Amino acid sequence: MTTGSTSGTWGSARRLLGFDLTGSAREGANLGRLLVLPAIAFTAVLIIYPLIVGINTSLHENVPTINAPADFVGLENYTNALKQPSVGSSAVQTVWYVLLALAIEIPAGLAIAALLHRNFRGRGLVMAVLILPWALPSVVSGVLWRRVFDPDSGLLNSALVQLGVIGEPHVWLADKGWATLFIVCVHVWGMLPLVALVFIAGMQAIPDDVYAASAVDGATPWKQFRHITLPLLLPSLVVALVVGTVNAINIFDEIYVLNGTALNTRSILMEVYNQTFIAGQFAQGLALAILVGLVTGALAIGYAMLLRRRTV
Amino acid sequence: MRSRNVLAAIATAAATMGLAACGGGGDSTDSTFGDASASDLEGQSIKVLMPYKMPESILKDFTDETGVDVDYETAGWDSVASKLVTANQAGTYIADVTEFDWSWTGQFGGNGWYEPLQDALDPAVLDDLGGTKDSFTADDNLYAACYANDFKISLYNKAMFEKAGISEFPQTFDELGDAYDKIKSSGAADYPLTMPMAATEGSVTPWYLLTLAMGGELFDEDWNPVFNDPDSGGYKALQWQVDAINKGWVSPGSVSLDDGPALERFTGGAAASAISAGPGNLTEANDPDTSAIAGDAEAALVPGEDGPGASFGLQEGFGIPVTAESKDAAAAFIDFVLKPENQELMYTEGGFLPCGKTALDSLASKNKIEGGDVISQEFDQIAPLFPQGAPKWYSQFSSEAQGLLNAAYKGDMTVQEALDQLAERATDLVESSS
Repeated sequence: MTTGSTSGTWGSARRLLGFDLTGSAREGANLGRLLVLPAIAFTAVLIIYPLIVGINTSLHENVPTINAPADFVGLENYTNALKQPSVGSSAVQTVWYVLLALAIEIPAGLAIAALLHRNFRGRGLVMAVLILPWALPSVVSGVLWRRVFDPDSGLLNSALVQLGVIGEPHVWLADKGWATLFIVCVHVWGMLPLVALVFIAGMQAIPDDVYAASAVDGATPWKQFRHITLPLLLPSLVVALVVGTVNAINIFDEIYVLNGTALNTRSILMEVYNQTFIAGQFAQGLALAILVGLVTGALAIGYAMLLRRRTV
Repeated sequence: MRSRNVLAAIATAAATMGLAACGGGGDSTDSTFGDASASDLEGQSIKVLMPYKMPESILKDFTDETGVDVDYETAGWDSVASKLVTANQAGTYIADVTEFDWSWTGQFGGNGWYEPLQDALDPAVLDDLGGTKDSFTADDNLYAACYANDFKISLYNKAMFEKAGISEFPQTFDELGDAYDKIKSSGAADYPLTMPMAATEGSVTPWYLLTLAMGGELFDEDWNPVFNDPDSGGYKALQWQVDAINKGWVSPGSVSLDDGPALERFTGGAAASAISAGPGNLTEANDPDTSAIAGDAEAALVPGEDGPGASFGLQEGFGIPVTAESKDAAAAFIDFVLKPENQELMYTEGGFLPCGKTALDSLASKNKIEGGDVISQEFDQIAPLFPQGAPKWYSQFSSEAQGLLNAAYKGDMTVQEALDQLAERATDLVESSS
């Protein structure tokens, strides 16, 4: 392979980058490069550069100020971060958040999308109302729900006592199981509109002709959903899984507002916050954040590969 | 998109470092400021970052007198703390004067993030601050000047106690337990005591207070934790708190209550007492605009084992970061606000009990300090939480304590398990910092 060759890997790269184009095609390619330049610059300045600095910092000893000289310590911050006593339980708790959130978000999102995909009177209004919880900041929704779960004057206890389900008010957030479930419910309440919208967008991309043809062949609505909608929704399902997983791993506000830094509901991102901003161990906190980022990225790639395997 | 939020978290922290790397920062102390003349200050401006508002008239008078413009910004206490840690770590400018809590002395001072003030402030102001300077002193350097002389006292609802046939607030924990049983049985309150027990910073201080009040301490002189021995004050304090839940003295919901909502149970008339309150809370409890029990709230000494127990101070002060851009003007601002007449104004309009002796004596002589007698007596009971000064690793210790104490309140851990784990963590922190 030579630099002048248009075959092989180098040739493919040249074609991909538009270097082999001539005339108006080249001008179009140049315009394209020009237009994406601001986005690349912003990404480089706001994401790539800080990420490189962050990785570099995580490999050096923790110092009171960043400008102070710091010795290279390799992966010591990573091992120290993982040795913290509550990191293991926080990681396990985060897995529970992810599993429970996805178990509710995906089926419920599909159901809502299937309902809203049909045309009916007031559909626009329902869509607008549906999106409200997603638009609400998670801290605000956490404060609202804290009122609901308040053991002394909360709506939940009042309703359950009035209905005779429980004899006396219960401290829901003191119990690990209930607290986990309710935190997930608050999280899902905020996330469900987004997941449903992803599925609605996917359903709207499926041509009506396919449904019409299947109806002629005698397919029932359930069979249409099972054999047409679901398979063609696979790309949307992957997007929903990625969004749901990432957001559940990053769960923080809802837990902090509802239950503080209680050990039994602490997530891995709260550990990052504690190590970085409470303990002031920036290098160690960054190391843990990078590990969480790697796990999240690996999961997203895993979903994408699964999709590729099912569709190729 | 796939790891957007985690990347954002990393990027936020790392970006501050990137900026620091570009900006060069200002991480060395400057011992030469504090002696500028009035004409030197004219036309300068300073930024002040605090968790509380200050009377507008003080800011205006300062600008009129010195010609220094003040950009006064407020944010929640936790938010201010996070911003200061991040900015100081990065060595970037955040403000010229900032909040400085007593518990930050070891970490912020020890890291060289704040300017020593012993040579920068007016000697008369420093002299007037008296013993409150100890809370902000580490390695012979004074890192902040106290503006809020907060400490722990007990508050009780006199009407509720009288309904239960109790005319005076008990002085020992045994008597207090009996009183709570009587209040419950009289129907005056379902839960006579309110106490924050959530996993937050505000919920750890009642345990500190009870530890001291029960004659204990957290660490010995060599920083060995001494709170996990069953005979220690720390152990007895946590056991008393757990018993308070089990005996129905505090609402079971207290395990998810922070200090603000916990106090609201007292001012709202749901609880008959708050044994870990502050002098400013008494003013709030007797203000008809903010309280349903105005006129019934009284101050009392913190109980102890054989008589009134020890209390401790949680002073808050003004500090000047090493990255401040107008240090002379910042020092002038602190000197001005801590003038006795301004400290009096901060108490009457903002509820901040003065740190300066002159302002305190003046308010007391005018009978302007609510619960003045009790406050005066409680002053004599104040003991240091950390006799050697707040350690550098205090915030880590407090963070661990929040989760572990909360686990004990909830019954997820026994008192022994929670305190043993906390002692183990404390030992690790001491060893890693030495």
